[in-house]
Amino acid sequence: MIAILDKIEKTLGGLKCAVVLIMLFTLAMIVGTFFESYFGTEFAGKTIYKTWWFMAIQALMFLSIVFAAFRRLPPKKRLYGFYTIHLGLVIVGCGSFITYYAGVDGSILLPPNTPAREIVLPEDILQIEIPDEGRVVTYQLPNAAFATNIGEEYKQIKLKTYLPYADKQFGWLPAKNTYPEIEPVHTSEYLIANDNVAQKFLLSLHPESIDFESNVTLGPLTIHYLPEGLAECFARDNKSKLIIWDRSTVECKTPESEGIDIKVTKTGSRFLVIKKNDGYLSFFPDASPWPMDEKLNILQGSDIRIFSKKLFEDKPNLFLFGKNVGFYDKDEEKWFVEQAQVKGKKVELPWMGFDLTLLHHEDKLVPTNTPVSTWPIQKNNQLIKGDLKALSIEVKGKEYWLTNERGMTLLIAGKKMNFRLIKKTLRLPFEFVLTRFKMDKDPGTNSPASYESFVRLFTENGPSDHHIFMNNPLKHEGFTFYQASYSQDRQGNYSSTLSANVDQGRPLKYLGSLLLFLGSLLHYYLNYRKVNKKNVAPLIENLEG
Amino acid sequence: MKNIIFIFSFLLSTYSFGVTNTYFCNDSFGKHPIQQGGRVKPLNVHAKEMMKYLTGKRKVDGLSPMMAYCLLSLEGMGLKNDLGFLIPVEHSQTRELLGIKESKRVPVSEIKSQIDLLRAESAKATPDSSFQKSLKKLINKVALYDNITTSNNWLIPEASDKEGEANWVPISAFLQEKKIIEAKKVSDKPFVHVLNNAAENYERINPKSTHKLEFTYDKANLPAWSMVITLIAIFCLTLFKSFKTALALSFLTIGLQTTHMVLRIMISGRAPITNMYETVMFSGYGALVLALIVGHYKKEKTFVYVGLAYNFCTLMMMNFAGGMLSPNISPLVPVLRDNFWLSTHVTTIILSYGALALSWILGNTVLIKGRLGKLGPNDERYYSDLIYTCLKYGTIMLGAGIVLGGVWADYSWGRFWGWDPKETWSLIVLCIYMAILHGKYTNWIPVKRFIPLVTASFMSVMMAWFGVNYILAAGLHSYGFSEGGAVFLGSFFLIQTIVLVITWKPVKNSVELNNA
Repeated sequence: MIAILDKIEKTLGGLKCAVVLIMLFTLAMIVGTFFESYFGTEFAGKTIYKTWWFMAIQALMFLSIVFAAFRRLPPKKRLYGFYTIHLGLVIVGCGSFITYYAGVDGSILLPPNTPAREIVLPEDILQIEIPDEGRVVTYQLPNAAFATNIGEEYKQIKLKTYLPYADKQFGWLPAKNTYPEIEPVHTSEYLIANDNVAQKFLLSLHPESIDFESNVTLGPLTIHYLPEGLAECFARDNKSKLIIWDRSTVECKTPESEGIDIKVTKTGSRFLVIKKNDGYLSFFPDASPWPMDEKLNILQGSDIRIFSKKLFEDKPNLFLFGKNVGFYDKDEEKWFVEQAQVKGKKVELPWMGFDLTLLHHEDKLVPTNTPVSTWPIQKNNQLIKGDLKALSIEVKGKEYWLTNERGMTLLIAGKKMNFRLIKKTLRLPFEFVLTRFKMDKDPGTNSPASYESFVRLFTENGPSDHHIFMNNPLKHEGFTFYQASYSQDRQGNYSSTLSANVDQGRPLKYLGSLLLFLGSLLHYYLNYRKVNKKNVAPLIENLEG
Repeated sequence: MKNIIFIFSFLLSTYSFGVTNTYFCNDSFGKHPIQQGGRVKPLNVHAKEMMKYLTGKRKVDGLSPMMAYCLLSLEGMGLKNDLGFLIPVEHSQTRELLGIKESKRVPVSEIKSQIDLLRAESAKATPDSSFQKSLKKLINKVALYDNITTSNNWLIPEASDKEGEANWVPISAFLQEKKIIEAKKVSDKPFVHVLNNAAENYERINPKSTHKLEFTYDKANLPAWSMVITLIAIFCLTLFKSFKTALALSFLTIGLQTTHMVLRIMISGRAPITNMYETVMFSGYGALVLALIVGHYKKEKTFVYVGLAYNFCTLMMMNFAGGMLSPNISPLVPVLRDNFWLSTHVTTIILSYGALALSWILGNTVLIKGRLGKLGPNDERYYSDLIYTCLKYGTIMLGAGIVLGGVWADYSWGRFWGWDPKETWSLIVLCIYMAILHGKYTNWIPVKRFIPLVTASFMSVMMAWFGVNYILAAGLHSYGFSEGGAVFLGSFFLIQTIVLVITWKPVKNSVELNNA
């Protein structure tokens, strides 16, 4: 046994082993820097710097350093420098390990005048909140760089695949739930273009379409996506320009076709009354599509509503009904509804030479962006590809994709559960408020010259004010807060981001580094020897003469 | 506005003679202060930077940058000039797009007329491709050209309400009719008079402004003189065998470079190690000083040659690689300001690169001499010892520099080590040299391998120094190797590899010797 240990010590403590280990370490770092440059800091950490094998190389180097020193005992004067260097390295190694094991490296966002006490850490977690029980469950996701199968189960929730870097892949999927045959759940994709610009967009009425909405604004143009059945009434040239829409029967009518009288109030606004079941609904269509009941309560969610086309004549409004296109032409003072075939003829629009093409139409399928695993790509320290984390969970045989962009609420065993993919946080024992943020700019430019945060700290001993700026951190209860970055909202208010650190290994790292430096000096000093320079051919001929 | 044009045409009729009408433009305006790019500098320096950026040349149609800048600025006030203003278009796709056949440089009007096309193509081009970059650069150039020719770029200081501060007014707004008529009463050159007055006023309220010093600094062009003197020193050493003259010239170079750096410190108010230009300068300078000191104590004249040779390389880069190493002084990002640890850390690292560069020059010289058959094994052993001396200084300073970098990162960001590419690469360099130094004690690295290995290892220094900025920082998308830095680095690696291959010798004899 001792012989084996001795053998290990000899091998690990040998010079050749040292050279091999240093070269392996170097090689890994070279790959790491290229990974960092291609795929971003976090990815490089997950594939190189924070992997078990990279840690193992460092551990072996640590042993090699220790054994190399042991093998050269008892102390010899010539090796004093060598011992000091190796002792320094060992101490730095210990300090780094303590930092790795117990240190905190996170950041805290300080919105203006809002108390904050949560430090955001680099780890990703799944958070399940059960509001009824007042309970929050978290699960730490693996520190993986590629798609990973989790295979864990919590209550009726199966955690399946985790994608740390994902892209959205578009597809048409069948609906998870069933809907009445008449319910309009159609989806269309269009291309709007003129000579200078072109823009594709996809609009959907499907209740399961979470990534695509039913209206969109493109510059001054507002586009509304409406049930197919409405197109017919837009085409009618009725005098009142009012359309009655009944959602329960998916039918449209006009006051003229139903013989409903349009009355005018004393103030001149139009109103009409419709008998519905045993009550009356009164509409003021020029103000709102929603009806009011006898007590003048607005009934939002009523099946019957009335649109006034007049409201959409001033500004460019485009109405799309799947395969029909409706718009108002100001020059001709007339509403048009035109047919559009899939990939068929372009519909000319009355604005800036734009025309519209229907690219795709689906009656029942759901347009869905599904996360797929990808390699990330970074630019200027920001991921420009793969900046999506996704986790698939299975509940009652149905699979759902959860992403860090959008949480999800599911009803499981009669309980509401909120799912979120977020970063792990740490609650500070004290609270911060950003009272003021100051940014100086270089004269005559917009580039920041300095940024400074003025914060108020609330602790058990009462509040205190601090000033944090570049190279002037705030130290409190073992935490150190540094000015890291800032952001500005639309109102021009600044938020400040501080990095928050706890580093217990710091003194050891400093001490070790100092020993390392002094040891190197000592080593070269003790091993200095004069080189014999006899009969050496000069590099530059005749210089010596 | 109409009035001012009338005044101009009336007053300036006396100036108009000769082929190019230069109006009241005058090289002496170069001393005037201007606030651009976030700091106050002499107009001459600003004009030079602008013209260099736009045309890629030092002179514009035979005129000095100051004169050209002045003439362009007057265009916005209705004063026409017949300056042949050419902008270089190099990218082949861009040339094709603009229908340029032969000439490398194109009149700016030709580019301006197709600016919409350039914008449209730039929006369509692959993001960050060299084509898109070239288009964006052209668009920026046109925008800057327009900014100058609409008289908005040339800013003149006017006294403001705040004490010690000035309002910077575009020249078109500054040259008011009233002012000129007033000035006409006291001077026969009213425009020069009001501009000089504005500059003097500014100097009076800002006595600490360094723009005049910078004017001198710029005119002196000390890097060019240092390069010439270093070259003469090398000739003295190698051709004329006059060591004492070479030594004296080395000291003269050091003196000039010290002056240059001191002036730069006074102007920028910070240690001269904050961009590539400054680090290159400092490493060459530091290496020469180090070589002279070591050479003196070791009584070894070879060090003088090595120091001069390396300093010459860096001075060449400073003088001729302006595209890659910009000599402009610009404001720093906040994290790099007022920082003792940063200055110490970078200085140490750059000095270590200088020391390692000495080992590189020495290594290459020994390899080439060895290839020519002029060195025996004994000689090589001796010179490998000199290389080892350089490595000693290099590695100690590099190690110290890395640690200081950790201290700085800890002090500024709250972490000692974060696997950032720059810090990782400096550790890679140290590890490579450490592997060689450890391997030297095994039979894997005998003398004959030690020298080529040390020489090859300098490529890692270049990677840490330039590669991280020019290759790694560019990221995946801009791997075109089209920009100056990447081309330079690629050529360096190629040439060094060729030298290593040509000078390669098998080492079986010495292995047997060591094993015996």
